[in-house]
Amino acid sequence: FPGVRQAQWLTKTKLVEGLPPAVQGIMDNPAHGLQELEERAKHAVSHARLWDTAEVAPRREQYCPVLFENLIHICRLMSGKYPSLSKRMLARNCRIAATWERESILLQVRGLSGILMNSMTPIPPVASKEEILATKEHVLETFYPIAPTVDLQEVNVYKELDDTGKCFRDGYPYSHPHTLFLLESANVRTNRFRPEQLRAKMLMFAFGNALAKAKALHGNDPKVLEQPVVVQSIGTDGQLFQFMVFQLNTTDLVSNDGIKNLVWIDSDQNLYEKAQCVPEVKKGVVMKPAGISGFQPDTFKKFLALYLHGTV
Amino acid sequence: MAALGARRLLRPGQRWFSETAPGAPSPPPSPLYPPVVASITAKSKAAKSRRLERFHQRVHAAATVEEKLRLYGKLQRPKYMVYPQTFALNADRWYRSFTKTVFVPGMPPRAAAAKPQVEAAGATLEAGRALEPGAAEAPGAAEAPGAAKSPEAAAGAAPCLNIDDLRSLACDALLQESFYQTKKRPFLYRDQDHTPGPFLTQLVSTLAAFLSGRNPLLAASSLDLKPEVNYYWHHGEEVVAHGHRKGRVDPVRFQIDDNPHLQIRVPKQLPEVVPLESDLGDVPVIHHKPSKLPLFKKQYENKVFIGSKVPDPCCYGHTQFHLLPDKLKRERFIRQRLEDQIEVVYRSNGIASLFAWTAAQAMYQGFWSEADVTRPFVSQAVVTDGKYFAFFCYQLNTLALTAQTIKNSPRKNICWGTDSKPLYDVVEDGNVKGFNDEVLLQLVHFLLNKPKEL
Repeated sequence: FPGVRQAQWLTKTKLVEGLPPAVQGIMDNPAHGLQELEERAKHAVSHARLWDTAEVAPRREQYCPVLFENLIHICRLMSGKYPSLSKRMLARNCRIAATWERESILLQVRGLSGILMNSMTPIPPVASKEEILATKEHVLETFYPIAPTVDLQEVNVYKELDDTGKCFRDGYPYSHPHTLFLLESANVRTNRFRPEQLRAKMLMFAFGNALAKAKALHGNDPKVLEQPVVVQSIGTDGQLFQFMVFQLNTTDLVSNDGIKNLVWIDSDQNLYEKAQCVPEVKKGVVMKPAGISGFQPDTFKKFLALYLHGTV
Repeated sequence: MAALGARRLLRPGQRWFSETAPGAPSPPPSPLYPPVVASITAKSKAAKSRRLERFHQRVHAAATVEEKLRLYGKLQRPKYMVYPQTFALNADRWYRSFTKTVFVPGMPPRAAAAKPQVEAAGATLEAGRALEPGAAEAPGAAEAPGAAKSPEAAAGAAPCLNIDDLRSLACDALLQESFYQTKKRPFLYRDQDHTPGPFLTQLVSTLAAFLSGRNPLLAASSLDLKPEVNYYWHHGEEVVAHGHRKGRVDPVRFQIDDNPHLQIRVPKQLPEVVPLESDLGDVPVIHHKPSKLPLFKKQYENKVFIGSKVPDPCCYGHTQFHLLPDKLKRERFIRQRLEDQIEVVYRSNGIASLFAWTAAQAMYQGFWSEADVTRPFVSQAVVTDGKYFAFFCYQLNTLALTAQTIKNSPRKNICWGTDSKPLYDVVEDGNVKGFNDEVLLQLVHFLLNKPKEL
C-alpha cells in the first residue's frame, strides 16, 4: 500500500513530481561552480564506500553516515563563497512532536527524526500565489473503503505537544528548520525502510516540523498562512537519494477542501551504480576493476542545490 | 750457454705465450666458488642477521605501498598496547622515550606569512604595531575593536578576520549543545558524549567551513568523524622471558590504536617547522621495562592506518581533535590529589596520537624504519575535555627506532605543546561567561595552517 498517498491524505497535500523551479534554477546556474565539485563528490563517495575502514569493505551502518558527513562537508565548504551559509547549524538526534486534527481524527507525529539543519532565515515560498490557489480545486484521493488511518498506531495522548521538534528553547537564533536528513543505515535489509516508505516518512516529518514552526509563528488557530513555511527533506540509504521540498500553505487541516499544502518529490536518484571494493577477477582476467562505477553528478548537484536553497 | 738461455727464458714477468698485446690487462678471473656468507637456516646469530637482511630486501623491493605495509606487519607476536589517553603516572615521559620525541613547551615560532589576522594586507594604519601571532591579537582586538574594523574597511585589501564573527560562531555552537537543544539526561559516565562531543564537532565543522575561504587547503580537505588511527613499530630489545622462544633476543613491539574525535586530512603536506636535523632537547631514557608503566602485551593484527586507505588523495594529516573521556576528567585527579598529572594526560595524548598519525602518514608514502623519511612530516592536534583546550604540533623527523637503526640516526622527533587553557568559564541562561579569545585564536591559527606555496 503506497505510503506517500496515505501521507498525502493525512497532511492534506498535493504532490508535484520533480523539484521546484527555484531549486532547478540553482542547479542550472553555472556561477555556482558545480562542475568542479564533481571530482570532490566522487572522492567523497569513494572514501565512504571504499577507503574509510581498515577492513576490506565498510558496512552500511558505517558508510551511510560517513557518506552523508562527506557530502555535507563539501556543501559546507561552499560558505567560503557564500558567507551567509555560515548561518546554519546542524542538530543531531532531534525529536519532533506535532499534533493536528484531520476530519475529527487527532493525529500526531513523534519520534527521533534524524538530523535537522536549521538556519537563521526562512526559505522563501517556492510556489507562487496562483499555484497555491489552484490547489483549492485539487481533490485529495481517498482510499474508500480503507480508512486513511490504517497502519497507524492508536495511542492515548494526554499531552498535545507542539514543539519545533527538539524543543529548542526560546531565543534560539537558528529557529527556522531548513532541511531534514534521514539516513537509512541498518545493515539488514528488512530493518531499512523501502524507498516508498522512506518518502512517506520524510513527508510526515517535514510536515511535522513545518506545522510546529507555523504554530510557533502564527499561533494555534487553524488558518491559511500568509507566509507559507517551506521545509526540505533528503532521505538516503547510502546509494539511493530521495529529495523533497514541502510547503505548508495552511494549518486548517480539519476539512477536506480549501487550500492544500504542496510537496515536490524527486525520488530514487542513484548517486552511483556500484562500488566495487575488491576487483572481480574471473580466470585471471579482471572483469570489474575496484572503484566507483556509474557516478551520477546530477544527484549531487540536487543535494547541493537543496543545501544552497534559501541563501542564494 | 744452456744455463744463460734458461735464465732468459725464466726471466720474471715474461710470458711463455705472448698472444695478448703487451699492456692490456687480463680479464679478472671469474670466481670459482660462490661468496662465503652465513647460512639462512642455521641457529646462529649470523644466520639470523642474514634472514633479517633478506626480509629487509623483500620489503624494500615491494611493488606497492599496500604490499609493503602487509610485509611490514606480517609477523604477529605479543606487543605492548600503547594507549594515548591513559591515567598512568608520568606517561608522557615514557611515551617520549618510546617514540624518541623531544617535548618543547609552547608553540613553534611560525613565520609571519601564516598569520591572517587583524593587520591589513596593504597599508597598515597600525604601522608601528608589530602584531605577533595568536596571543597578542586578543588584547589588541579586544581593546580596539572599532579601530581594528576601520583599517579593515579602509585598506580594502585582503579581508581580515573579524574576531566577533568567530566568537559568535563558537558561542552559538556551545549554546546550542548545552542550552538550547533539550536532550535527555546524560547516560552514566557518558557525560562527554552528551555535550562536549557534539559541541566539538559543531565548532570544528563550522569554523573549518568559515575559514575555507582563506585557506585553500581546507577547501580541499576531508573531515573524518571518529576515525581509526593505528601504528605498529619496534623500539629497543628485550629477552623473551618464558615460552618456547625463551632466551632469544627480540625487538620490543608497540602498537597504538587511537580513535580521535575528529580529524582533518588534506591532500598536501604541511610545511616543516624546523629543519630535519635539528636538535632541540633530550629524549628521556628510562631504564625499566615498558610493562612497569603499566603497559600490557597482546598479540593481534599489526595495523598501520591513518583514517583511510592508501588510494585516498587526502593522505596527509592536518589537525586532529581529541576528546578526553570521563575517566580522565580533572575533578577525579584533583580528588586523588594528583594535580600535576592533569597536564601529563594532555601531553601523553598529544605525543602518542600525533606520533602514530605522522608515522602512519610516512609509511603511506613508502618510508619505514629501514628507509628513513627524507622530509619531515608535520601534523597538529587539539586535546580537550570540552572546556580546557591544549594545542600540540608534532614534527616527525625519523622513523628509525629499531635497535639497529637507532644507533646510526641522530635525528629526533619534536613535539611542541601548550598547557590546557579554558575556552570559557561557565554557560548560564543562554550566555557564555568568560569567553577566552586567545584559545579561539590559537584554534583558528591551527586551522589556517597551510603550505607556503598555497
